[in-house]
Amino acid sequence: MQDRRAFLKGSLVVGAGAVSGVALPGLLRSARAADGPLVIGAPLPISGAFAANGKFASLGAAFAAREAAAALGRKIVVTDIDTEGKPAPAARKLQEAMAQGTRLFAGGILSSEALVMGKEATKSEGVFITTAGADEITGSDCNRGTFRWSVPTFGAIAQTVRPLIEQMPQAKRWYTITPQYVFGEGLLSAAKMVFQEKGIEHVGNSYHSLAEKEFSGYLTNAIAAKPDVLLLLNFGSQSSDALRQAVSFGLKKRMTIVLAWASGLEQFEALGADLCEGVYFGAQYWHGIDSPLNKELVSKLRESAKMTPNYSFAGSYQITKLLLDAVAKAGSAEGPAVIKALEGLGYLGLTGHEEIRAADHQVIKDYYLLKGKAKSAMKDKDDFANVVNAGKSFLSPEAAGCKMQQG
Amino acid sequence: MTYLFQILNGVGLGMLYFLLAVGLSIIFGLLQFVNFAHGAFYLLGAYLAYEGVERGLSFWVAMPVAAVIVAALAGMTERLLLRRVYKLPHTFHILVTVGLALVVQELVIIVWGPLGGNVAAPDELSGVMILGDFIYPEYRLFVIGFTVILAAALWWLLDRTRLGAIVRAGSESPQNMALLGYDTLSINTAVFALGAGLAGLAGALAAPIRGVEPFMGVEALGIAFVVVVIGGMGSYAGALAAGILVGVAQSLMATLWPEGARLVIYLGMAGIIMAMPRGLLGRA
Repeated sequence: MQDRRAFLKGSLVVGAGAVSGVALPGLLRSARAADGPLVIGAPLPISGAFAANGKFASLGAAFAAREAAAALGRKIVVTDIDTEGKPAPAARKLQEAMAQGTRLFAGGILSSEALVMGKEATKSEGVFITTAGADEITGSDCNRGTFRWSVPTFGAIAQTVRPLIEQMPQAKRWYTITPQYVFGEGLLSAAKMVFQEKGIEHVGNSYHSLAEKEFSGYLTNAIAAKPDVLLLLNFGSQSSDALRQAVSFGLKKRMTIVLAWASGLEQFEALGADLCEGVYFGAQYWHGIDSPLNKELVSKLRESAKMTPNYSFAGSYQITKLLLDAVAKAGSAEGPAVIKALEGLGYLGLTGHEEIRAADHQVIKDYYLLKGKAKSAMKDKDDFANVVNAGKSFLSPEAAGCKMQQG
Repeated sequence: MTYLFQILNGVGLGMLYFLLAVGLSIIFGLLQFVNFAHGAFYLLGAYLAYEGVERGLSFWVAMPVAAVIVAALAGMTERLLLRRVYKLPHTFHILVTVGLALVVQELVIIVWGPLGGNVAAPDELSGVMILGDFIYPEYRLFVIGFTVILAAALWWLLDRTRLGAIVRAGSESPQNMALLGYDTLSINTAVFALGAGLAGLAGALAAPIRGVEPFMGVEALGIAFVVVVIGGMGSYAGALAAGILVGVAQSLMATLWPEGARLVIYLGMAGIIMAMPRGLLGRA
């Protein structure tokens, strides 16, 4: 579990302190004149079920802003906008922020809120960059103002299932557990494509609702199918519940368990090393990534706040940094100029070399396959897993369904 | 064979649901009080057990200690707050207890953080029972056995002891009991503490199965109400029957209609309300 004291200390050190690059609640109504501070909106779930993710993301955005302020020679203010984790308040509050002159936004942890906010930002020539996961964000719902950093479902499956099939050629029978909604269907159809291509026998699938917390029935189905691999396609607390219950049913000893879309360090902390040992996790980010920017971030954050960046923090840090770097490149904070600066931008990001594809505004980056370590093998309290594979897999914009008019 | 396994799994699940709901049934049955803070006591019990284990206590100590602390806190809450609204309409019960639930949830987040945690099953029960192709965690078997014993003990306490007779009489005729010299206010406090303590115990027992996270009380409250409504408000035996029925239905649906496994619980409740408004075994 997240150390509460470390969490609070991190909030104080990272979020306060520097004059520039401070995360403030949406009460700030500072001047938006050209010579005033540069305001970045951070629409995040500060309250509600996803508040923990929102809080870490807010810290990440403030951290990036503090770093960029010196480079830009300009005061930067990150304004938290509490989306409550719901699309309706998210859209309304983004509209209010835009009415006050904010044009640049980095946030949107949940796909439902990210989709509506991207559309709102585009309407008013704003820019919205997000870490949300739904394929539609840079697929069928792509638009001029929206950019997305995280790898969508196709790539997540390609970089978890494919490497494991190669590593375990004897594991021919796979069972899936899938949340029944668009995101889960995306992961499942991507998995089925790989199964078909590689001659894997898909021995069964159990759908479940988004409210489900009891997975014993689905696990009983899985046991009856006698798979070699159990592939969990849910995410967040549902994937934690499913994994916890799968381990309690002794399934770790009977089959390989893969969690295709893990939440990152936060999830490992909540589950604990014993439960995660030997389980494979797909991840957008890991603090152990061997890239210059990531090493620098981890080192700085550990020194200043005594905390290790988790995915919520790192993702928000990266997208805020991208936005600010684009402002610097464009020499302007106006939406169209920032969009132009972002499109086609290649840079050294947290995962190494990353590039923003102009046709659909999707960041091309690595997705990681992690394997949980034994508690005895952990070098420090956050060393839960090894990176066993990393790679880039993306559908073309056309195949993803993006039909965006270029500027 | 899969259906048989699902039924067996469903019985196990049902016993956990019964444990979750019986406290609510007792509070409503004996106090006619709608307690929307029931999930919060479950949440608190889970987190207290978690904290005890994190601090090095054996689970076998942390679990009952958590339940006792929850009962004590609930008793204090009843004395200081809830007894002021007993005579008011049920809407006030709901308002006050929903508010209480939100306060407890936020306090849990402040104290333990928002991310949740894991409680390992005791080492003695960390294995699985294997019967041919049927695999079942030993800890869940323990929960079933423990709940059966607890159910029997509760029945004996409430139906076969003088104390139980006093409690039941106090719920049916508080004025007469007061005239006979019984402290009905203290009886109410004890009943509320018992019901909440059972919720806390359910939370502590559920923690190794479900982990702990700050919003687990909301889900628990939903299940508890479904079980109590299906079984009959105030019916102890009804809660047991309904718990098992809900557990088996949910487990079977995981094979027959997986995406509807949760929906079927609420559909079942709606059907029962329409056909039998007092539930399966509710009191008139």
